[in-house]
Amino acid sequence: MRSDNSLSAWLQTTTGIVAVLLAVQFLTGVLLAFYYVPSVDHAYTTVSYIEKVVSSGSWIRSLHHYGSQWLTIFVFIHVIRLFLDRAYAANRIQWIVAILLLGLVMAAGGTGYSLPWDARAFFSTRVAEGLMAGLPIAGGMARLWLLGGSEISGVTLSRFFALHVLVIPAVIGAVAVWRMFRAQIVEFLGPRDAIVGALVFLVLALWALKHPAPFGPSVVEAGADYLPRPGAQFLWLYQSLKYIPGGLGSIVGVVLPGIVLAVLVALPWLKRQRLIAGSLLGAGVVLVVIMTTASYLSDRRDPRTAQQFARQAAAEEAWRHQPFNPATITLAATTNVTGGAPVMYTKYCANCHGTQGQGAQQGPLKFPPLLDVSAKPRRSVDDIVSLLKDPAAYGLQPPMRSFSEKLTEEQMREIAEWIVKLRK
Amino acid sequence: MTVETSRRSFLKFLPLAAVFASIGGAAFRFLRPKLSAATNAWLDVASVSELTGPQPISRKIAAEQITGWAITTEEHNVFVLPAKNNQVVSAICPHEGCEVAWEQNRNRFSCPCHESYFAADGSRISGPAQRGLDPLPARVQDGKLQVQYISKEQATRA
Repeated sequence: MRSDNSLSAWLQTTTGIVAVLLAVQFLTGVLLAFYYVPSVDHAYTTVSYIEKVVSSGSWIRSLHHYGSQWLTIFVFIHVIRLFLDRAYAANRIQWIVAILLLGLVMAAGGTGYSLPWDARAFFSTRVAEGLMAGLPIAGGMARLWLLGGSEISGVTLSRFFALHVLVIPAVIGAVAVWRMFRAQIVEFLGPRDAIVGALVFLVLALWALKHPAPFGPSVVEAGADYLPRPGAQFLWLYQSLKYIPGGLGSIVGVVLPGIVLAVLVALPWLKRQRLIAGSLLGAGVVLVVIMTTASYLSDRRDPRTAQQFARQAAAEEAWRHQPFNPATITLAATTNVTGGAPVMYTKYCANCHGTQGQGAQQGPLKFPPLLDVSAKPRRSVDDIVSLLKDPAAYGLQPPMRSFSEKLTEEQMREIAEWIVKLRK
Repeated sequence: MTVETSRRSFLKFLPLAAVFASIGGAAFRFLRPKLSAATNAWLDVASVSELTGPQPISRKIAAEQITGWAITTEEHNVFVLPAKNNQVVSAICPHEGCEVAWEQNRNRFSCPCHESYFAADGSRISGPAQRGLDPLPARVQDGKLQVQYISKEQATRA
């Protein structure tokens, strides 16, 4: 298929660009995972840490962020190029792989947007929730499965994380390996692919140096006037949703693209309907281009929107110059950390009940733990003081004995007040 | 494959090698560990008045460290040795870092992991540990015994 030394030969290097950008996504994604924590209380902090503290962190994250947009655009161009080359007839696997990749990189982008858990991420998750909920018939169920519960929560973030870093990359990897084994790697990537792929990377690398990936305020800090915008690869969907009432958005945003991708995958076997499939792809291209342009234009033209974006950009710039604000983690018991057990407890009680009231075993004798003992009946501070004087009155057996001669009232009270605070 | 074609196929991947080299270089900087900063705060252990008797007294202190993206407050066990002028020793075994326990009936500290034993004054008796329990810098302020936490690794380097 490849003709040498002509313009068309260079136009065929979309494979190389897609391969290089995929590799960049994998590598930068693995690196980000070394610091990122997928929990609602630490995701924002760990992304801030990558942006502000980790060497090259901002560049790596920007590569991953803009790389995902460039990857989607180049897979899209790749599909159009293959269609024009009639690859669906000549090389079925190459065609099917390209269509699957298009769906997969969109899914990767969609799940990835939620991970930083900034205001943008939160809105993106909300939109994904709404798109699922609006699906016909199974919408309610789809929403619950996406969120992992009835509301957006830590479980939702874990789901997006698992899909983004485990499931989708594994499927992309499998599809890519399938493609490479069908055409040996040497043929898969020609010298032109390598040159053009590297050039695209060079431009992306320079772009990422100059433009850090956007990072909005945390969900808590975002004001009501905060305007979220999705990445370039989703602007067509974002803009379309403005024009479509209610649940129909799910049809346009999820069902229709799904049908188009399914028809395109089946294209090698659809001999007579190729015109229809071609029209679908053409209409898709036109829709995406028009809606993306419309989205840019409407944001540019509305002065209030432009002002708000300027404010948000200024706030983000100011945030970048503030020092990193670490999270606080406490790996310590909440009770009485510096004081510890009363000395008299340690002296008389700890041998049997444990230094921290955890209980103990000596030979055949088992001594009960004191943790959560205050939840039991007749174990208030006053009760415990009385119990220390006369254990039998509280139904306790030897070897528990009376301490009325060894401990003062004050010491017993100190022990009792410490014991009632013990928790498992 | 002739020498000529293998050279060609090598050269052809040179631009890709440049891509991976640039990410690889950044990856090294990105993954380089950052040393955590101890805060060196003085932490209350106990009131001096309650520290009496011949037995080591078990206490917990909560030390702060700036580690990675978090300020981590971690609990550490220490022993006050009233018999040794209220010296405070870390409960961390200087061998491999398990926590020693005080055995009252045998009058010694024992490590549950590899059977190192230490005397009531913290000095080494036997076992694979090469030194006694690590003493922590201590002071008395307003009737309170206070210490600074030092990790086993810091004590080993010192």
